[in-house]
Amino acid sequence: MTAPIIEIDKLTKSYGGRRGIVDVSLQIREGEVFGFLGPNGAGKTTTIRILMALLRADRGAARVAGLDSWQKSVDIKRLIGYVPGEPSLDPNLTGGQLLEYFAHLRGGVDQSYLKQLIERLELDPGRKFRHYSTGNKRKVVLIQAFMHRPRVLILDEPTSGLDPLNQQEFDGMVREARDDGRTVFLSSHVLSEVEKTCTRVGIIRDGRLVRVGGVAELKDIKRYEITIHFAQPVPIETFAQLEGVAGVEKLANGSAVRLAMQGSADAVIKAAARYPVVSLTSYEPSLEDVFLRFYESDGKAPQEVAGVV
Amino acid sequence: MRATGRRPKRSPVWFSSVYLKTLRDFRVPILGWGLGLGFLMTAVFAAVPALLATPAARASIVALGPSFAWFADPIKIDTPGGYATWKYGLTVLVVALWPILAQSAMLRGEEERGTMDVLLSLPRGRFRVVIEKVAAMWSALVLMAVLVGLLAFAGARKSNVDISLVATIAYGLNLALISAVFGAIALLLAQFTSERRAAAGWTAGLLLVFVVLDMVHRVVPNTLWVSRLSPVYYFNLSKPLVPGYGFDAGAMVLLLGLSIVLSGIAVWLFVRRDIGGVVLTRRERPAVRAALPAGDWSLRSVYLRGLAMVAMPTVWWTLGIAGFAAWMVIVVKQTEAQLKSLLQGSALGGDILKAGGGDVATNTTILSLLFVFLPLMLMAFAVTQANRWAADEEDGRLEIVLSTPQSRLGVLLGRFAALTTATVTISVLTLATTSVASSITGIALDGGNLVAATLSMIPLGLLVAAIGYLLSGWLSAAVDTGLISFLLLIWFFISFLGPGLSWPDASLRLSAFYYYGAPLLHGVQPADLAVIVVAAAVALALGSYRFVRKDIAV
Repeated sequence: MTAPIIEIDKLTKSYGGRRGIVDVSLQIREGEVFGFLGPNGAGKTTTIRILMALLRADRGAARVAGLDSWQKSVDIKRLIGYVPGEPSLDPNLTGGQLLEYFAHLRGGVDQSYLKQLIERLELDPGRKFRHYSTGNKRKVVLIQAFMHRPRVLILDEPTSGLDPLNQQEFDGMVREARDDGRTVFLSSHVLSEVEKTCTRVGIIRDGRLVRVGGVAELKDIKRYEITIHFAQPVPIETFAQLEGVAGVEKLANGSAVRLAMQGSADAVIKAAARYPVVSLTSYEPSLEDVFLRFYESDGKAPQEVAGVV
Repeated sequence: MRATGRRPKRSPVWFSSVYLKTLRDFRVPILGWGLGLGFLMTAVFAAVPALLATPAARASIVALGPSFAWFADPIKIDTPGGYATWKYGLTVLVVALWPILAQSAMLRGEEERGTMDVLLSLPRGRFRVVIEKVAAMWSALVLMAVLVGLLAFAGARKSNVDISLVATIAYGLNLALISAVFGAIALLLAQFTSERRAAAGWTAGLLLVFVVLDMVHRVVPNTLWVSRLSPVYYFNLSKPLVPGYGFDAGAMVLLLGLSIVLSGIAVWLFVRRDIGGVVLTRRERPAVRAALPAGDWSLRSVYLRGLAMVAMPTVWWTLGIAGFAAWMVIVVKQTEAQLKSLLQGSALGGDILKAGGGDVATNTTILSLLFVFLPLMLMAFAVTQANRWAADEEDGRLEIVLSTPQSRLGVLLGRFAALTTATVTISVLTLATTSVASSITGIALDGGNLVAATLSMIPLGLLVAAIGYLLSGWLSAAVDTGLISFLLLIWFFISFLGPGLSWPDASLRLSAFYYYGAPLLHGVQPADLAVIVVAAAVALALGSYRFVRKDIAV
């Protein structure tokens, strides 16, 4: 197993009295594409900005390639390409000038690769940054993050504002980075993007990491739905106490039930078999559903996510 | 049924209209500028009677009048109101800086931040939005004027100075009117610039130009028509504090009309143009994809980028500062002739001008008094650049720069070094311009002292910049800029008022201008210069320490 290239250990940050993140721990292996999911204000950007040494953690440690993100920030930034969540650049420079400036600050980049990226994202580098649309501004920022072929890409909501075609192009760039053995750490709330590009996902809520696992593992958080239509009304209590049933909802005047399941469906199938079944459908949770479930504001973290998968 | 739970909050009346919300935004400037100027006038009225206590003292002041006629008309300057109008009439124009900043940001600033889009998404027309904002600005100026007038009246009463409330209120309103004119110019120029900073810079430059235009007719004969082109001329036609002089209603109506017309044009342009766009858009050059790498010198390092950013402001400030220095030399040449005829045979007059070792024959004394404006202007330039640094951090423009392998210290020092280069450039060019002007006009100046007078401005500029950088470690760009501007004003008034009020040396030492001294007369004072250099170095070191440890853009 490869050593983690990003290590976050009990990272805590508050802004005065306001919560930032609390005891976030995470390890990302080299070559992984890691998706960092969370609603607005959950702590995604805070975590990323600590990794980038733009914020100083109150407690805990963040390391990239074994180097402390605060103490060795300059060394780390040689390895990193970064897309901030809210990019703001000198409005009076053209996209081309901005890219050249950042290239110089990085000690030079492969110009042919830079031009290739510009072509690929169809950026017009001759326009001033102030005159770019939101999507084109995002392209400039994406190109500057990829142009030096960094070992680690840290991308905060990277596709925000991109049209679907450019999002596809971005997905391709991430896949290529992964195939080259580079690591991508991207935050998003676009789940389809994470499903397509990420190998592992972490979910952060209210400043705490509530779940980390493979995309497939997250989908398999046991809870799913079964809807059974019967030829006649059935007593709902029949299903409520069965093993694996987390909730029951009566439909169609009692001649159908929707069951929230967690675990094996064996007991439900056997119980349903005692009545004339018209149809039975099972609904697999999408990542969207998993995502939403973890954001239910029930005031407490779900029990099954207490540990890291 | 008895109500339970929390008591409902009071209706947020200040957020019930664009007008009230804008007026609320101006509450600190209204109080700050109103109280500041009001107390300034109070201090002046407290101090002036002592200066005019004896016939000899009054005669001295009257004798001084012609030598500074280029600065302001010396009318009844042996009275407190006349003296205050003569000595501080132009200086108080500093109050126009606030409407310049506020009205350049009023529409353009909101467009830059993107908040105008949201505001205009509400069911209110553009015209109404902008009219409410302009009305709020005028209301704020009137409130400020009343505050100044009331405090000036109270100060006059307390010091037994015979000035009526009508006169002090008229004084405040005249100030409000000239401020409204420059605010309207800023609002108008902001329709043509894509950044509020540019509009503010242009208008501040125009303020300086108009001040100089107003002076022209007092220095050069038969040039009244030139001065009439300046709004400042019409401001100076009213002298409500001068006994028996009163105010010029026509001039005040003209200023009001000018501000209405300029604001009206600005509003007319705003309701017709694209939000975020400018009037008279320049054609953008076509994209040149093959142009990469552009090979632009300014893109090679943080320092060079900083230099490019500061280049254009440096050009304009150099024109202003060096031009002002050259103008001062010309003014002194004119004054020399007037003084020689006025003070011929007057031992008293000669004594008056023996300030700090100079005398009337050398011109240097007068020029030295005027040269204090040069470091003030250079320090104002430093304020604008410190603001830019703070705004860049606040707006997140350093975020990607700091994601490259550049140390925070390197980024800060790179930008500060660029500002230092600009400051040195302005000072050296001021030296060159002054030297040329003195040789053309035939005014003999000590070369070494002239070098000292121009180049010893540099540490003062850097001190202000370093303090601005330091404060930006904690404060927002707006508060940081406000504080260092206020500090600059305080320093200036300590040095401007303090000697007249016979303040103790310890108080005068609180002003950075104290350490600038009178280098045109005395050359460099190494100990004083060292104080400023050390203070600037300490501020920069503390600012650097803070910057390398702080959270960025939080």
